[in-house]
Amino acid sequence: MNDASEKIGVCIERGKVNKSSPYPGDMAGQDGADELTVSALEWGVTPDKILSACNIGMQRIGEKFGRNEVFVPELLMSAKAMNAVMTHLKPFFQSGNVKAKGKFVIGTVAGDLHDIGKNLVAMVVEGNGWEVIDLGVDVKPSKFISAVKENSGCIVGLSALLTTTMVNMAKTVSEIKAVYPGTKIIVGGAPLTYDKAVKMGADGYSPDPQGTVEFLNKNLL
Amino acid sequence: MSLKYLPVDVEKEIYEVEISFKDLSITRKEIEHDIGYSGISAPEHFSGIIDAVLSRAADKCGIRAGYRIIDIQKKEDANHGLLLDGVFFSPDKIIYPQIKKAERAAMFAVTIGREMELWSGELFRRGEILMGYMADAAASSIVENITDLLHDHIRSRMLESEMKITNRYSPGYCNWNVSEQHLLFSLLPKNFCGISLTESSLMLPVKSVSGIIGIGKNVRYSKYNCNRCAVKDCTYRTRRRPGEKAVVLK
Ligand code: B12
Repeated sequence: MNDASEKIGVCIERGKVNKSSPYPGDMAGQDGADELTVSALEWGVTPDKILSACNIGMQRIGEKFGRNEVFVPELLMSAKAMNAVMTHLKPFFQSGNVKAKGKFVIGTVAGDLHDIGKNLVAMVVEGNGWEVIDLGVDVKPSKFISAVKENSGCIVGLSALLTTTMVNMAKTVSEIKAVYPGTKIIVGGAPLTYDKAVKMGADGYSPDPQGTVEFLNKNLL
Repeated sequence: MSLKYLPVDVEKEIYEVEISFKDLSITRKEIEHDIGYSGISAPEHFSGIIDAVLSRAADKCGIRAGYRIIDIQKKEDANHGLLLDGVFFSPDKIIYPQIKKAERAAMFAVTIGREMELWSGELFRRGEILMGYMADAAASSIVENITDLLHDHIRSRMLESEMKITNRYSPGYCNWNVSEQHLLFSLLPKNFCGISLTESSLMLPVKSVSGIIGIGKNVRYSKYNCNRCAVKDCTYRTRRRPGEKAVVLK
């Protein structure tokens, strides 16, 4: 049974979604995260055990990313495999037997319409076991504030593409902090740097999805 | 390659250039490089997806490219300023010395339209995230490639009258404030090449590029000199690959 969850972990690390998925090439034709989760649950492996195996898989791919051995596409495949597992674990979440790590509210700030970077971060964070609330693009500070109100204890992520919209990002950070000083905020996007993030009063900055996950995991309550 | 160009406004010397997807030299390798795979090969499956994206991109790119040639009325060394048709630009101290010797300038804009962007978004929504990501990356590489072609076109056209050109510089690069996009577009017809500008200086369609090229007898095209620039996280200096610290490219 251990073996079953371990195999799922490998599928997560390698981004093997299901049997028909041709990726990765050396696992073609083999069962993927999808099939293996179904059978593991049938054999009585607990959802918790499956999830912790998945976390190990996600952690491993994250480490490879950190060493520049893999890039965003591999992270996306792992996130996709993770989603396949989650589809089968959903009933356990709904019944309260298994819990998401926490809530992550993300959006592209007011005046900005660039969403690809934000989407990638959202996908990978979700794949790492967080509930993601994606507010979309051109999001006004008031909308972030209501989302924080509705999702108490959430962590907020802000994205921006240009230096002009980074100004709105700084405003968003201070407006959220004025109402909810305890809310952790991480910022990202092409023009950001760690220094700029600190200057605008954010709690974290990451140039990529993996760093975002590391920040979130560090801030687990 | 000589590209066909048509006047939009003869008096103001505004032109649009005809560029079709066939004119581009975009390759799968280039896109792989742009998303991180340089010196390490991309998994075959990913290469296949890029090929699939490229095979559909021709139909989804509404390429438009154009420029206006303007006399430089005034140059102000003290504040690195350029006056063009009554509009005062402050391109800062990296770009200014490159343009300073120019008598004229080409203000340009290029776009591939919205379809690639919409397609990428649609793929994301359908859960085809990998292809959505590749479509976005391909679109970015394609716009850059078109900008290269426009640059070449302007170079060869100016050579006909024995004028040389400089590198191209864009608002938002080399410390040139991106908000001067509003000044740049004020010199072009409304909705030039189908591009509009938001209040926050974002061009729509998103996959668009704008900039300036100096023209003159004594200007030259130089290799990028990033040492002079304080912008540590610029594309021309770095490919800020995920997880990677800034690396000097050129
Ligand atoms: C490709 C590119 C383009 C492409 C496509 C742009 C697009 N938006 O689709 C083209 C060629 C069209 C282009 C045009 C321009 N560009 Co450009 N471009 C880039 C480049 C090289 C990569 C951006 C990109 O698409 N990356 C891939 C995506 C997936 O990454 P991403 O969105 O950044 O998201 C990642 C991270 O940022 C992070 N992240 C994103 N959101 C979040 C949120 C959180 C919470 C966290 C933690 C992390 C995070 O994780 C994501 C995944 O890895 C960057 C430089 C760079 N190295 O980043 C410049 C850059 C964004 N461009 C820049 C500029 C200035 C421009 C132009 C204004 C130039 C011009 N005058 O023409 C135009 C603007 C276009 C417009 N519509 O207005 C500047 C912006 C800074 C500024 N000065 O405002 C940059 C930063 C370059 C620089 N000067 O250093 N650009």
